[in-house]
Amino acid sequence: MLLIHCPYCKEKLPELEFEYAGQAHIARPLNPAEQSDAEWRDYLFIRSNVRGDHAEQWRHTHGCGRYFNALRNTVSDKFIATYEIEQPRPTGSEEGEKSNEQLES
Amino acid sequence: MSNLRVDGKGRINRDKRIRFTFDGVSYEGFEGDTVASALLANGVHLMGRSFKYHRPRGPVTAGSEEPNALIGTSRGGAGRFEPNTRATVQEIYEGLTTVSQNKWPSLNFDVGAINDKLHKLFAAGFYYKTFMWPKSFWDKVYEPVIRASAGLGVSPSEPDADAYASRYLYAELLIVGAGPAGLAAALTAARNGTDVVLVDENRELGGSLLSEAPASIDGKPTETWLSECIEELSTLPNVRLMTRSVAIGYYHENMVGVAEKLTDHLAYPPAGAPRERMWRIRAKEVILAQGALERPLVFDGNDRPGVMMASAAQTYLNRYGVKVGTAAVVMTSHDSAWYAAFDLVDAGVTIAALVDVRSSVGDHLLSEAQARGITVKTGHTVLSVAGKKRVSGVQVGRVTGDGKVSDITSVSCDTVLMSGGWTPSLHLFSHTKGSLHWDEENEVFLPGEKTERCHIAGGGRGLWSQQAAFDDGVLAAEQALTSLGQTAKTISVDVDGDRAGSGIVMEELPSNDDKLLAGHL
Repeated sequence: MLLIHCPYCKEKLPELEFEYAGQAHIARPLNPAEQSDAEWRDYLFIRSNVRGDHAEQWRHTHGCGRYFNALRNTVSDKFIATYEIEQPRPTGSEEGEKSNEQLES
Repeated sequence: MSNLRVDGKGRINRDKRIRFTFDGVSYEGFEGDTVASALLANGVHLMGRSFKYHRPRGPVTAGSEEPNALIGTSRGGAGRFEPNTRATVQEIYEGLTTVSQNKWPSLNFDVGAINDKLHKLFAAGFYYKTFMWPKSFWDKVYEPVIRASAGLGVSPSEPDADAYASRYLYAELLIVGAGPAGLAAALTAARNGTDVVLVDENRELGGSLLSEAPASIDGKPTETWLSECIEELSTLPNVRLMTRSVAIGYYHENMVGVAEKLTDHLAYPPAGAPRERMWRIRAKEVILAQGALERPLVFDGNDRPGVMMASAAQTYLNRYGVKVGTAAVVMTSHDSAWYAAFDLVDAGVTIAALVDVRSSVGDHLLSEAQARGITVKTGHTVLSVAGKKRVSGVQVGRVTGDGKVSDITSVSCDTVLMSGGWTPSLHLFSHTKGSLHWDEENEVFLPGEKTERCHIAGGGRGLWSQQAAFDDGVLAAEQALTSLGQTAKTISVDVDGDRAGSGIVMEELPSNDDKLLAGHL
């Protein structure tokens, strides 16, 4: 069972208290009505499936109840960082970043 | 057949006799016996039949690695039957009822054993392809007959009547395995004031010290040293000792699942007591001191009752005071089986032949064997085993240069003890996604890169002697304490009469038969 650091409670707590809440840093389009069907589909459903460092949201459900962001390596299942919801994605590990670049290219 | 008990040997309580039944026959054992050791003391090797060909099977090991001696156990009452219990692990208690498995109508006379004669017909996957036609046979013939003969053991028909508990535990240092390495690590850390949990799957702490006691430790008899060590550990407030507790899984961030058996050895469990307790132990540092498992050798008939690991025979002798037979042939490619043979001879077992596939072994082994009058056959191999429900002899031949065998002779015996060397027990380490690397020189997989804060000590690192295991346990504890930011005071444990050894790895023993009957399932 993982131990997760909640950036709001500032404590490392067991995974049992947390809930996964999907990929992070997906901005909702400001004017949905202007979106094409394809764009709206991409916003709603299309997510990356990273082999490496993955930015994702977690909720401290059985604690402060707040959402926060985390950077987790999907190969080792280790958390690299957890950060408050409005902060930008930090740089991950060297290996993780490399595999992300490979995916995007 | 109480003459199979050796006076003055074993860690059983001879003042407390216990009666239990196996297949309806009542047997007697002592407190501290397992079902396997008590049956072996009564001369019973045949404890089950194999899954598919219904070949007779007896215990090959003396511990939790047992693949053959699987039995059904019950303490009576609905919902208290359990199939596939290892006879080598289940302790006996007054009133324990056990049954053999995979036999019909009885263990001694089994109709299904015909499958063994017809094994060429019953290829792998046979069951799943053949019984499709005619359709009218499905319900009346195939389903009842095949269903009854399929599967390992009988599923319980009642809901489990017992209760099970679960707890969380936090520790600075968790040590898995209480053999020489684990005890040395525990002593080092405990004397340092570290918060230590030591778990072991056996009834008693000690590991290999219980099966093969060196002459002395720190100048004291092994038994004295061990009891003083346990006494010291159990009085320290920062140490928790857990016996009959199996570490079953190694999860993220050093969480180890431990299943503690609470009542399976008691004749009269306290009312309402849980049968087992599941511990989720989160430790800052973990030391895996799980030792090594002896490798079997591959030869025709190595699954006959009476064929077992050399270390198992040594354990039955030294831990349970049981001779597994009266005349044994030892087949080995490793020094450790020689020491097992010496222990057995000293306890009055005849070694009919000590067969070593290696053409040369250490002079000290040869002279010790000679002093005991053992017939040594180096550069020889066992070709096949005679006997059906119990070994009655073996065919031994000389290995020639081209990998064939010549000068074949028969040797009669009632037990065959085999040893193909040792494999580090790294199951838990593998749970952590830790990598293994192949050690060319010793032909074993050793732990490689780690993903968790864990340390491996003793046999798990391919160290084959008790002195080396003690030293390595101390070292692992020092590393763990350093990692915890504590300064460790080092300790030393001095073993006298240590039996270090080496050996070679044989994938399959030499034989003149090109196609061995593979897959005696």
